[in-house]
Amino acid sequence: MADIERIDTGDDIIVCENVKKWFGEFQALRGISLRIRRGEVLVIIGPSGSGKSTFIRTINRLEEHQEGTIIVDGIELSTDVRNIAAIRSEIGMVFQQFNLFPHLTVRQNLTLAPVWVRRWPQAKADSKAMELLERVGIPEQADKYPGQLSGGQQQRVAIARALAMEPRIMLFDEPTSALDPEMIKEVLDVMQELAHTGITMVVVTHEMGFAREVADRISFFDFGNLVEIGPPEQFFGRPQHERTKLFLSQILHQ
Amino acid sequence: MSDEHAERFGYPPMERPPRLTTGPVAWLRENLFSGWFNGSLTLVLVVLLGYFGLGALRWATQEANWGVITANMRVILWGRYPQEELWRPVASVVLVLLLAALSWIVWRGAALRRFRNWMVGAWLLSPFLINILLGGLELPTLRTITNNIGYFLFRPDLLPVLEATWRAPTALGIMALLAGATWAVESRRVPRVLALLGGLVFLALNLPAAGLMTEGPAGVPIPQAVIILGAAVGGWLVGGAAGRTAAAFSGARRLLVGLWVVALGVVLLVLTDFEVGRPEYDPQAVLAQVQPSLWSGIMLTLILSTVTILLSFPLGVLLALGRMSRLPVIRVSCVTIIEVVRGVPLITILFMAQVMLPMFLPIDLTIDRVVRAIAGLTIFTAAYLAEVIRGGLQAVPHEQLQAARALGLSEFLVTALILLPQALRLVIPAIMGQFVSIFKDTSLIAIVGLLELLGILSSITKQREFIGTVREVYLFAAAFYFVIAYAMSVASRRVEKQLGVGTR
Repeated sequence: MADIERIDTGDDIIVCENVKKWFGEFQALRGISLRIRRGEVLVIIGPSGSGKSTFIRTINRLEEHQEGTIIVDGIELSTDVRNIAAIRSEIGMVFQQFNLFPHLTVRQNLTLAPVWVRRWPQAKADSKAMELLERVGIPEQADKYPGQLSGGQQQRVAIARALAMEPRIMLFDEPTSALDPEMIKEVLDVMQELAHTGITMVVVTHEMGFAREVADRISFFDFGNLVEIGPPEQFFGRPQHERTKLFLSQILHQ
Repeated sequence: MSDEHAERFGYPPMERPPRLTTGPVAWLRENLFSGWFNGSLTLVLVVLLGYFGLGALRWATQEANWGVITANMRVILWGRYPQEELWRPVASVVLVLLLAALSWIVWRGAALRRFRNWMVGAWLLSPFLINILLGGLELPTLRTITNNIGYFLFRPDLLPVLEATWRAPTALGIMALLAGATWAVESRRVPRVLALLGGLVFLALNLPAAGLMTEGPAGVPIPQAVIILGAAVGGWLVGGAAGRTAAAFSGARRLLVGLWVVALGVVLLVLTDFEVGRPEYDPQAVLAQVQPSLWSGIMLTLILSTVTILLSFPLGVLLALGRMSRLPVIRVSCVTIIEVVRGVPLITILFMAQVMLPMFLPIDLTIDRVVRAIAGLTIFTAAYLAEVIRGGLQAVPHEQLQAARALGLSEFLVTALILLPQALRLVIPAIMGQFVSIFKDTSLIAIVGLLELLGILSSITKQREFIGTVREVYLFAAAFYFVIAYAMSVASRRVEKQLGVGTR
């Protein structure tokens, strides 16, 4: 991968300039410009259909943006397959519906990508997998299939699976929205612990408590626009934009 | 939740479900004699069943002439395969059974897990071995390589015979040498046993020639047995000595694997005759040609269905993937193949394979009828499988592919590791149904003049002493097809159950 061109973006690990995306006639992203620093935890909130999910999916090319530039860790997202592959192997992603591979055991879910993409020997991948399962607190489930686990356990496995590739960036797409209320905390605890390790995290969530406590910055999306961005105390205490104030007044019971 | 949970929070313990009235008498009363109408219906049916059942039993035990089956058992099993060469199909059956038994042991024992790759390799190799066993040994030569590839693919029966001369013992010697070296270098049991088996197979192939005489260097006749023995023992000793010397060298094992590959090439060259075209059966040869058109009976039925199944499955997967491809050329050609083949009756395809396929080939190149039949059956099955598999591919949630891509897997790996495994297990019952159906449909081959089981059986009924035994013969055919087809569907259910562990 030596021949991939790298752009110096300084302290910023993700740089988005005027990113636009259409689904047919519908414009889902209307020019998002955003720089995310190394090690930052950025929380994205916003009403449904605001484009927040689409936005984080453009960062690892699960959705293709039609205009603007995205640079991840110095690599520009272009149509070049090698660039896309290089970027994807540096980004881990956690989905709302977990999306574990049902035909593989938990251990195999964790070792699949390291063995086939990173070309690690099986033994190395296995020990890394066990280490990560320890970290998310379910080493005893290693040889079960995803269908045998609870939702919270599955999501923790999904986090471990993403971490197995040793990514520099983690994307979370509403990781707790599909969970039973009793299981949300166990997943948020793992994410909070992860935030302290210095990995860059971009989290789409509706968990305001988590956002307030863990985020370095919070950004508010509406209608395909990045409406407002700022540190939690400013965002919750002194929101600038009318739309942000309205949104916060509707979701926070006071 | 568990009883422990109930105890901790003081809930009442779990109760047993209420018992229903059970037992055979209760079942009978409830299901067969629940009223005067059902009761009398049951009685009438019992009487009818008894009447016809007894009639059938009396016919089967007293009137039927089962001699037509027992007297012709050899013909039914092996058809017109030369009698003196029968050890070859028998050896093939033994080989398959042996592999099956070994696989069962390897897959059952957790300690033997690491031998699975070897086992898979053995299975992959076995069709080639069996083809050589049944058809004789022949391969393209350097001189006529392009020409011969054509022959190899389409007229294997015209390729030369492995003769009982110096060439066979030379090949044996090379194999013995490698076996000896492997035995000395390897400490692991499986490669050692495999090497030994390789040597033994070649020794066995030489044995039928042991009684012959060969002209030595100075015109002195030498018994072939001496040459064979010499090649085997000499090769083993030299190889063993070389192996022990090389064992100190750390790359010895890897080198050996390379040597095996090279040796197989050398052996094939040694064994190859530099002339083409002696189709007639020569009983003096070590592995004489037996043209596929002589293959018949149950043997042919099983070969046709196994080869068709083995070939049509990958072809069907490719067609299904091609049909969903983003590239228009691939997609349109796959759709065309699938739809055209599915729109034509199998019997038409079989006739076309017999009559029209030769029209597209060079004039001097004719394909064996059996190969043509296999081609027809394969393309037919593949087209149907492609549609079944496409159903499976479309049933795999899109999110699965996204998750795999997000992990950095390439499109090829996403397809091979995530999409296909999930899609195929969804459609196992349908795939197996297709296999069962093509197994039964091989009987259509009789119409284009090949003597598979049904063809052989109907020719048997024309023997003078067995005139009028059509019923016995077709009952036998029905029983045979049923037993195999039922075994296949039981196997399918087992596979399904095993793969279903923990899936959603």
